[in-house]
Amino acid sequence: MPHQEALTVVAPIRPGEVDGVKRLLGAIPDHVDGWNVIPFERLSGVHFARLVVFDETTDLKGDPIPAQLALMTNVDAPLDAHLDELTRATGEALDRVFGACAGYPDEGQRTPWVRRRFLQRYRREASAFYVNRQGRSVEQIRQEEALRRAIGEFLDSTDFSRQSPEQVRKAIKDFVGGRADLKWALEPAAPPDLRWRVRQMLHKIWHLIIVVVLSPVALLAGPWLLVLLRRRELRDIPDTSQAPADSVNRLRNDEDFWVHNQVIAAGCFKPGLVRQMVTTVILRTTDFAVRHIYNRGSLSGLNTIHFARWVAMDDGRRMFFSSNYDGSLESYMNDFIDKAAWGLNAIFSNGDGFPRTKLLFCGGIRDEKAYKRFLPTRQVQSRVWYSAYPHLTTKNVANNAAIREGLSGELGAEDTRQWLMRFGVGNQLPQSGLIARILDRIPWDRICPYLK
Amino acid sequence: MSVLEIDDIQGIVLFAYGRLRSACYLLLRITRPAAARSWLASLDVRSARFDPAQTDRAINIAFTAAGLSQLGLSDTLAGEFAGEFLQGMAGTLHRQRILGDVGESSPERWSWGGPKNPEPHVLLMLFGRDDVVLADVVRQQQAAFAAAGLEMITRLDTTWLPKQREHFGFRDGVSRTDIEGFHTDARPENAVAAGEFVLGYVNAYGQYTQRPLPGPEQDPGELLSPAPEDPGRRDLGMNGSYLVFRQLRQDVGAFWRFIDGRTRGKDGDARTRLAAKMVGRWPSGTPLVKSPDRDDPALCDDNDFFYHRAGDAQGLKCPIGAHIRRANPRDALEPEPGSDRSIEVGKRHRVLRRGRTYGAPVAESMEIPDILAAADSGGERGLHFICFNTHIGRQFEFIQNTWLNNPKFDGLYEDDDPLVGDRGGPHAKPGGTFTVQAEPVRTRVTGMPRFTQVRGGGYFFMPGIRAVRFLGSLR
Repeated sequence: MPHQEALTVVAPIRPGEVDGVKRLLGAIPDHVDGWNVIPFERLSGVHFARLVVFDETTDLKGDPIPAQLALMTNVDAPLDAHLDELTRATGEALDRVFGACAGYPDEGQRTPWVRRRFLQRYRREASAFYVNRQGRSVEQIRQEEALRRAIGEFLDSTDFSRQSPEQVRKAIKDFVGGRADLKWALEPAAPPDLRWRVRQMLHKIWHLIIVVVLSPVALLAGPWLLVLLRRRELRDIPDTSQAPADSVNRLRNDEDFWVHNQVIAAGCFKPGLVRQMVTTVILRTTDFAVRHIYNRGSLSGLNTIHFARWVAMDDGRRMFFSSNYDGSLESYMNDFIDKAAWGLNAIFSNGDGFPRTKLLFCGGIRDEKAYKRFLPTRQVQSRVWYSAYPHLTTKNVANNAAIREGLSGELGAEDTRQWLMRFGVGNQLPQSGLIARILDRIPWDRICPYLK
Repeated sequence: MSVLEIDDIQGIVLFAYGRLRSACYLLLRITRPAAARSWLASLDVRSARFDPAQTDRAINIAFTAAGLSQLGLSDTLAGEFAGEFLQGMAGTLHRQRILGDVGESSPERWSWGGPKNPEPHVLLMLFGRDDVVLADVVRQQQAAFAAAGLEMITRLDTTWLPKQREHFGFRDGVSRTDIEGFHTDARPENAVAAGEFVLGYVNAYGQYTQRPLPGPEQDPGELLSPAPEDPGRRDLGMNGSYLVFRQLRQDVGAFWRFIDGRTRGKDGDARTRLAAKMVGRWPSGTPLVKSPDRDDPALCDDNDFFYHRAGDAQGLKCPIGAHIRRANPRDALEPEPGSDRSIEVGKRHRVLRRGRTYGAPVAESMEIPDILAAADSGGERGLHFICFNTHIGRQFEFIQNTWLNNPKFDGLYEDDDPLVGDRGGPHAKPGGTFTVQAEPVRTRVTGMPRFTQVRGGGYFFMPGIRAVRFLGSLR
């Protein structure tokens, strides 16, 4: 199975052409049934896609930042094939979308190769890229949902109440084996590509070596850095302004057409060397954590996120965060506050105006009133948004995979019983790794009150 | 934890008025603000303090955002109220999606509170010990309307059903949300911070919910109390609460016809069993998690239970999608189901329910066989759903959207709430699904129509009594 990649292209829009781009893109409610300019559903391996216009603005020093257009996709590897398809199959659509960007090839010169050079030029590597479950392709997700539906109808057709769990499992296996279109499910899903797994392993080892080598420095410098950080935290001025009601309404009106929703927020980094150091360490740590610690369906206790990315832009002056998740924004924000405040504080408190944190991890998001007021001031509208399986939650996807997995191999009595439960409800989630579980159990509620 | 100022909180926020069995709700428009203000300044609003001289009647009052503005509240002050309240229940297409107010339930088709109806300003709630007393209260009030510059838009009557049942035939109102510092007998697992229901007190996040805090110059008569977190300012929200009102029509015939159709060929009790699985309680009120296989009337008032802690993580006793498990999941959801943390997080999504049923019951006995026999008798009936909360988005709307209407609740796939769910709105296939988790494998019913329709609704602000006087003093 392929692993997933995040493509991010952020290109400046030529002055005076922003309105035209916005007209072309429209807004999410305009194309609930599909966007006909780039039909993302026809591209292979695309999980999510979106187009965003970052309005013209200024940085903290007052220097101008031009308006920019961003294309983001979450796609099955190889990325190369995706770029190829974008610039060939949907090349003319790409011309319409990016034609208003500075540096886009002129008409007459728009060959796949030239388009691709443009995309490469404005491509941004994510500082951190979270995938709910690495190596689960769009095709697998769709197939396994079809499998569950078919088994569901099969279970409806017969009264199994007097049969043993083993008999029911056998009946299900026989049903699947007898269907030419489902037979594949009797084999377990292939793991991600071996080369990719080796690369991930090397990444892990290499970074652990770095940690070991740098740990004496960190032990010596850490306390100082914390003191300096705390001073800055007390000096930082949280942004207490309120986003205008009409822009909040516009954002809300883009939401809740499907089970999936999207969010994107952008802001400037806090200035100064200390903050820069903290930010670098935190983003590196986040990158490590999402690859090696939070890689089994949960991001520090949040299990509703399909994909998320943090991307630096504007020569490192700004960063945006974008994610695709299940449920409403209200429930997403509550999850941030209730379940994952510490980790998200550590990342987002490096952004200008964030609610005041205490030593990086405490406070911040836990201030519900301040956080829910702050987020809309930094939110950016996703104008075009596509999800390949908008009716499936992360839990559904994981449960479907477990259903398929239970079709092969031997299961003991208790495992068979538990496997059959999955047709009734999919709330048995895979357990996080040991480190993730330890981190998730830090009692911040009890620690934080000691920090005054 | 501060003690609630019960003299200043309107009675209906803290009590259901179980002894005042007759009630009606009047929706009013303010035509002459000056006259309405003087009426308001002397209106006999019932507080939560028990008054032995006044046990046979009560009056409570709440306002829409338009009503406050009509009374003369400045836009700047009004702008400090919750956004959901300012926009109104039918205010945006987004809100209609998350509340499930689509199709036959869309605000265009409401009989009050929708864009095609006159906009209400005031909700006047009148209660009496019996119909005679209530008629007296209504008469007195109505006699004053002309002089008070008020016009009645709609009168919503209520019915007190026997045995504390709702129209489908199940005992309702067994689960009570306890308020810290008020219900002194509350179990800690069920006690919620007062600020979740009454403004001006600390909420479940240890904060004061946003609300209008006028400067002293805006309250020259010093009618309002100082804001607890900012004593230099006055507190218009203090002791007030947001009142959510939804008129839900229950299609009793459709409900029992559906149940009957899906249990054909099984024994007679199968109907009650399936319906009880959908509700999460037996008709008597007994929770399934305590008595999964048969009704046990000895437990009819039992509200002392959890799901994971009762060993029912997988819904084998009380289905995951049962109405009461969705409306209040107790310890069933993340983080760490069954833990104290799970219960704490759940407390951030509670409301105080104060609704009443309306319309004649299909069978006076309220017993299932009689209801079944008469299920298709005509007439409209349902529930005037009323609840109080201080953060409409995190409480009422969250429960409605993330729990009741959500087909993905706690790992499900296509099941919304069997009783009140919206069946997925415009982008879903018609008909809902209800799964009964079972061994060796689940059963489910599909093609389930929507059994409750929204007939009207609105978001109101019910001020504290001092704030009522303040509103009456505006100029």
